[in-house]
Amino acid sequence: MPVTAASRRLDPRAKLYLLLLANLLLFFHVDTRGEAIMVALFLLPLFAAGRWKNGLRLAVLYFALLGLGLWSDAVTLDGAGGGSGGSLIGMMDGGANDGGAATFAVTAGHVAGLLSVGIRMMMPCLITGAYAFTTTSISEFVCAMRRMHVPEAIVIPCMVVIRFFPTIVHDYRQIRNAMALRGIAAGRFALVRHPVQSLEFILVPLLMNATIVSRDLSVAALTKGLGIAGEHTCMTVIRMSWFDWAFMAVCTVPLALAIGGVL
Amino acid sequence: MNQPNQPAVQSPKSSRLAVPDLISIGIFTALYFVCVCVATLVSTLIAGAGTIFLPAVAALICGPVFMLSVARVGKFGGITVMGVVIGLFLFVSGHFALSFVASVVFPLAGDLIARIGNYKNRVTILIGYVVFCYGLTGPILPLWFMKDAYVASLEARGKSAAYINDLFSQISVGSFFVAMAAILVCGLIGGWFGQRILKKHFVKAGIA
Repeated sequence: MPVTAASRRLDPRAKLYLLLLANLLLFFHVDTRGEAIMVALFLLPLFAAGRWKNGLRLAVLYFALLGLGLWSDAVTLDGAGGGSGGSLIGMMDGGANDGGAATFAVTAGHVAGLLSVGIRMMMPCLITGAYAFTTTSISEFVCAMRRMHVPEAIVIPCMVVIRFFPTIVHDYRQIRNAMALRGIAAGRFALVRHPVQSLEFILVPLLMNATIVSRDLSVAALTKGLGIAGEHTCMTVIRMSWFDWAFMAVCTVPLALAIGGVL
Repeated sequence: MNQPNQPAVQSPKSSRLAVPDLISIGIFTALYFVCVCVATLVSTLIAGAGTIFLPAVAALICGPVFMLSVARVGKFGGITVMGVVIGLFLFVSGHFALSFVASVVFPLAGDLIARIGNYKNRVTILIGYVVFCYGLTGPILPLWFMKDAYVASLEARGKSAAYINDLFSQISVGSFFVAMAAILVCGLIGGWFGQRILKKHFVKAGIA
């Protein structure tokens, strides 16, 4: 199989699997080492798909948070034994020497630690989510959902949502232009000054237009046969290649080891 | 434009969701999603680290979208599908899987409540809306999970349980109830606002 740009992207179902793994990572509170390995693995497909800028930004953010977390460890711990191997003895004398050490640096360390642990835990999800969102086309997504036997009641709204976002942006610009023409909410902060009025003036035309578009789309979709019972086919072909399976396996192993406490 | 109330090709009294209904739901879901994004922006700007008020802010501004979608679709399943699709999008955009569960369970409950009044009674729709709004608590639930993780890491590093309790007990319980109460209040206000907008603009235009 020739390595083309398309084949270097994973199958949509493999992407969903990665998302699931990232969620499991969050759920089981895997320790820092396992987390770092998983993050590195999750960043790989992003680079493989040619999203260098995006991938580098996420990588830098993750390592900055990691550094912050280590710094806060160092500050709050003030030398009570190395990080992850906290033993029972550590717990006991930790209780004893906490009393007087409530200085500003420790508080700052705690806040920084909470922030870094918190955001860092979200990072695997964010990375896989960014990957899934930026590299999947609508037809691939729909095809994958149909293959996974997601009911049409879910597939159709999903399709419409993705399709409708650009329309909303376009409508919003038109509405703002019309408002400016009438001298409503013209200034920079005018929208914020009258929040209720802005909400009404923007949302009502959007909703009006939404009802019209929904009617048009229904007619178009029914003409194309969306309402016909039976199986629907897709233009885009998706296949799970050996690479998808291999990558899924490679990502699963460290997670399983980390959850099992081996790593 | 003259007959906006007719779904394109469908027997008028079918109680199941047909393709035109699903397309309407999709469009309202897109608008709802945009509102949620605006709410995310607002809640992070105004409240600083107060992402915990995200569902409350969303409840405040999503009223009109919800009310119009109920008026337009008015069948069982509409609200649920809206929640499920939002949950899927949250999941795919990298939110916690639990947010998916929340955005299925609460909209389903809201759907059932609105169904009592046959999607016509204003009170049941309003209550349904408030319940629906709790579906968005999913994205903020990790905040409490993060706290757990931080506590776990503190424990691993040898801090005593009493110390940890001191540090976190009030923050977590207090902020949790404040956030939940804020959703209730904002949901009521937002729903009322939505129904007012509906009456003022859409009923008159024959759309709702």
